[in-house]
Amino acid sequence: MSSKSIKRTALLSSIALLGAVVSGCGNGGDSEASSSPSNSPSSSSSASNPASTDAATPQATADSGKKIKLEVIETGNNLPAPDQDIIKKELDKALNVDFNLTVYASGDDYKNQLNVRMASGNFPDLFALDRQQLIEFSKQGLLLDLTPYMDRLKQASEFIGEENVKKGAVDGKIYAISKSSQIPYNTYFIRKDWLDSLNLEVPKTIEDLKTVAAAFTNDDPDKNGKKDTFGLTGGELNGAFAPVFGAFGVGSPGSIYEKDGKLMNALYDPAMKDALAFIKEMIDTGSVDPELLANTALQHQEKAFKGQAGIVWIDWPNMTKENMIEQIKAVNPKAEWIQMEPPAGPAGKFDGSWEIGNTPGRYAIPKALEKDPEKLQRVFDLLNYVSDPKGGSLLVQFGVEGTHFTKDGDKIVMTDKAGEVGYSWLYQFTGRPEMSYLQTKFVPQAEFIKFANDQPRIQTLNGFVDLPEGYVASDADRYIKEELAKFAYGQRDLGEYDKFLKTLETTMKYKLFMDAAQAQLTALGYGNK
Amino acid sequence: MALAALRKFWPFYVMLLPGVVFYLVFRYFPMYGMVIAFKDFSMMDGILHSPWANPWYKHFETFYQSPYFGELLRNTLLISLYKLVWGTIPPILLALLLNECRIRWLRSIVQTLTYMPHFLSWVIIFGILIALFSQNGGIVNRWLVEAGGSSYPFLTSTETFRSVLVGSEVWQNLGWGAIIYLAAIAGIDPTLYEAARVDGASRLRMIWHITIPGIRSVIVLLFILKLGHLLDAGFDQIYILYNIQVYPVADILDTWVYRTGLQQLNFSLASAVGLFKSLIGMALVLFANNVAKRWGEGIW
Amino acid sequence: MVKGLEDRLFNVLVYAVLVFCALLAIFPILYVISVSITPFGEVLRNGGFILIPRDVTFSAYKTLLTQSNLPQAFKVTVLITVVGTAVNLILTGLMAYPLSRKNLPGRRIFLLMIVFTLIFSGGLIPTYLIVKSVGLIDSIWAMILPNAIWSFNVLIMKSFFEGLPEELFESARIDGAKEFRILFQIVTPLSVPVIMTIGLFYLVGHWNEFFQAIFYVTDRTLFPLQVIVREILMQSQQTLENADNITPTQTLQMASVMIASLPVLVVYPFIQKYFTKGMLLGSIKG
Repeated sequence: MSSKSIKRTALLSSIALLGAVVSGCGNGGDSEASSSPSNSPSSSSSASNPASTDAATPQATADSGKKIKLEVIETGNNLPAPDQDIIKKELDKALNVDFNLTVYASGDDYKNQLNVRMASGNFPDLFALDRQQLIEFSKQGLLLDLTPYMDRLKQASEFIGEENVKKGAVDGKIYAISKSSQIPYNTYFIRKDWLDSLNLEVPKTIEDLKTVAAAFTNDDPDKNGKKDTFGLTGGELNGAFAPVFGAFGVGSPGSIYEKDGKLMNALYDPAMKDALAFIKEMIDTGSVDPELLANTALQHQEKAFKGQAGIVWIDWPNMTKENMIEQIKAVNPKAEWIQMEPPAGPAGKFDGSWEIGNTPGRYAIPKALEKDPEKLQRVFDLLNYVSDPKGGSLLVQFGVEGTHFTKDGDKIVMTDKAGEVGYSWLYQFTGRPEMSYLQTKFVPQAEFIKFANDQPRIQTLNGFVDLPEGYVASDADRYIKEELAKFAYGQRDLGEYDKFLKTLETTMKYKLFMDAAQAQLTALGYGNK
Repeated sequence: MALAALRKFWPFYVMLLPGVVFYLVFRYFPMYGMVIAFKDFSMMDGILHSPWANPWYKHFETFYQSPYFGELLRNTLLISLYKLVWGTIPPILLALLLNECRIRWLRSIVQTLTYMPHFLSWVIIFGILIALFSQNGGIVNRWLVEAGGSSYPFLTSTETFRSVLVGSEVWQNLGWGAIIYLAAIAGIDPTLYEAARVDGASRLRMIWHITIPGIRSVIVLLFILKLGHLLDAGFDQIYILYNIQVYPVADILDTWVYRTGLQQLNFSLASAVGLFKSLIGMALVLFANNVAKRWGEGIW
Repeated sequence: MVKGLEDRLFNVLVYAVLVFCALLAIFPILYVISVSITPFGEVLRNGGFILIPRDVTFSAYKTLLTQSNLPQAFKVTVLITVVGTAVNLILTGLMAYPLSRKNLPGRRIFLLMIVFTLIFSGGLIPTYLIVKSVGLIDSIWAMILPNAIWSFNVLIMKSFFEGLPEELFESARIDGAKEFRILFQIVTPLSVPVIMTIGLFYLVGHWNEFFQAIFYVTDRTLFPLQVIVREILMQSQQTLENADNITPTQTLQMASVMIASLPVLVVYPFIQKYFTKGMLLGSIKG
């Protein structure tokens, strides 16, 4: 290469970059939030007709008839490439859109990405968000207030139910569509073959639980001549002992629930100390996973599969789906896990807590979409369409009729091609009728599903509480977890429990949270009986 | 004078131009974002139009007033210093040894194998650590028990957790870190060795008097740059490896900021802590560079 | 022959330490490979740790390679790696060479400017805004240009250039060579080890590209390999209470790691030969 041509290329590339600077400065770089967020070609077609209300049949909407690009983002995984995405193709056809769904496997990545896009004015047309983001974004005027549009979202709001519509509200205005409610999945699972080999019964009370756990640890239930097993595991303290807290009538630490008609915070529940004392006794016998507190993700499941633990508190999908059974049997063909009812204690039996203020997910629309009524209508169409129990909802639940499922009267039967659309849940923006959905899709697990759903649980209300200004939740959470672990492991005497609460209230400003929770829940009508 | 310099040096400035443009566009232009440390950042108003924080040091104060401030700073500095010391010397030693290796294939194999762990993400290394050190069923603990000892909670004990952090990082970066020193050694004038050999110098002497001085400037350069990141103790690694039992020895500035600032959407707080870290890093770099200059090294 | 003995002892010591280092590295690698080709149930049966594969199956690899997103992601990654590394090396070299001339007026300012960016950054949001206003969102260039130069690598390259003997430049200039010619025809061939090293750093950086992809790209067909791999790895890190979710087994995770890193692992031995001591300098001078 001659030096001349090198100079020229260098010059060219710097000019190109320079041009970039200028255009960057020209835009101010900062006031982007106000400019049009959409870069799709169709957004320029302003000749739209907002006068369409017949939501369930989107084809009937009178609009320019153009194919509109819709961008939706959320967390998820296993989404196939667009050209192989059957659900996308069906939605494109039904709604006259070019659907562009992007999913992020890591919740953290997703959250960061959404925050940056919101701050930069590059809004997706519909996106999943958590409660904290919902509050923050709506306060800053980034979200479309859906309240005046609710009549155009009739199908969707009927589908999710009034309770769930309210969960998308901030200060009385609806900013998000919540998914329809989920049902609880978790229970204790216990090794039936270990019980049999030691001639033990399924534990009925927490005392039984303690005895069985100890026997699983000391009496060599797998008969391999080695002391290499232990009784109980789960995800951290809260996971392994959820039904034990329940047996004392205590919600999971930090949760708020109604007790005798009054609001109660689990940490202040008089029975909390008893629960911790019992847990400490159990831990002292050496029958609990020594690394319980470090069990992140599914490590407790792995310990159960490996034959190290005999009791685990976990959800049915991770224990009873076919591929899970396969793994369990590969380790030990005789291994048999059964669900058990929560053991009874002084306050009866509760299989841990169940949060009723929460929703499995919520989706919001950016305020900027107001300026593009045609596109906005398509987003509404989409939400209504996937909420139509006779139409789109079936698509996003089960796939294409005739290919992935067949109808036998009212009953839906999955075909052997159903695996092709195993990712269809990514498109369930308004959720699904949980029980019938699971019973249809997971036929071999039907009993486990029902069993888990039938267990009594303490209903907690934290999902309704918005964090007050000045309260640093992460510091308080850490302190609570650390100190409870110390109490449970005997590193701190339970006699100091009140001192712990004192520090929590002052140093960690928990008082702010308590007052806010009290005020907000009372306003919603809880604790007034 | 300036004109004369320009006439003489203009080809150099032309070479610098594309890089300078890059730095201006992608590095310096976004710098205005640092002001959000002093503002109450609002997404709607954007960075420049968000209201100023009142008082201006509000977010620094939140950070400073956290009950965990002292602990966070101590953990960050300790973990980082351990990593600085243990992370600098082994790769240099490995590079020196590889350079002394007379068997070609052995050198090649060792070099390739030690390079591999760099490509394992922390999630995978976490899995390996569990398989090795878990109290129930970890290989090392099984050996301990079989040898008549008792098992030890390496991953959940405040006594050993920092060693696990430092050890796994050193392990991961041993071969990767050696690459740059190997390249530096390759640049040493071979006639120096020939002359020394004629004088009858031993190999150790040659390492000490030729090889190490030959790579000294790279060692100094890397050390100074690492000092600039002294307050980054390795977020990814710690975030994946830590658990509630080891928080008192493992929670660092970045993990705290992550839990407090980003998860709770407080960009201003995150930015304030970032600025604090950068200021200290810059001060350290300036100081270290001045010291290094006295030995005839230094970045500028 | 005391010296011969001493020499041999020294050799033995060197080999012993090197073999130790290799073993330290090889066990975990063996573990990853073995798990990736052993059915997960079998892995669990052996307590979760195996070094020798059993019941060998390549089904995890088959699952991954037939997964629709992977081939496309592979193409994207190769593209950004090749184009990106080329852009990086040219820009870095053009920057490092002038800065290695100690008498260049303003050198100190430029170097300080570079070091400053290593430590201070404006943050994600303003950077996103600039990438957006330059029009790079949802393009391959969004994964190349915003990191076109790593300050760290400029400083290293500059430090190597400084080590080149000054006579070389003087004689070239006396011969009437222009600076660009000196850079490309004299400095470059003499700096192959450092160019290879920096090139490797850039190459690996692009190969592991993930961060910019998730921020600047929303088009699924432009996602690079690591986004897909991370999807598989992160799924195992969170307990989604989701009945539909299929948590990938460790076997699948390890296989994804193997597929994603094998190409960069293979590259390295080819680069090693450029690290042989004094090879180039010697040949030129001799």
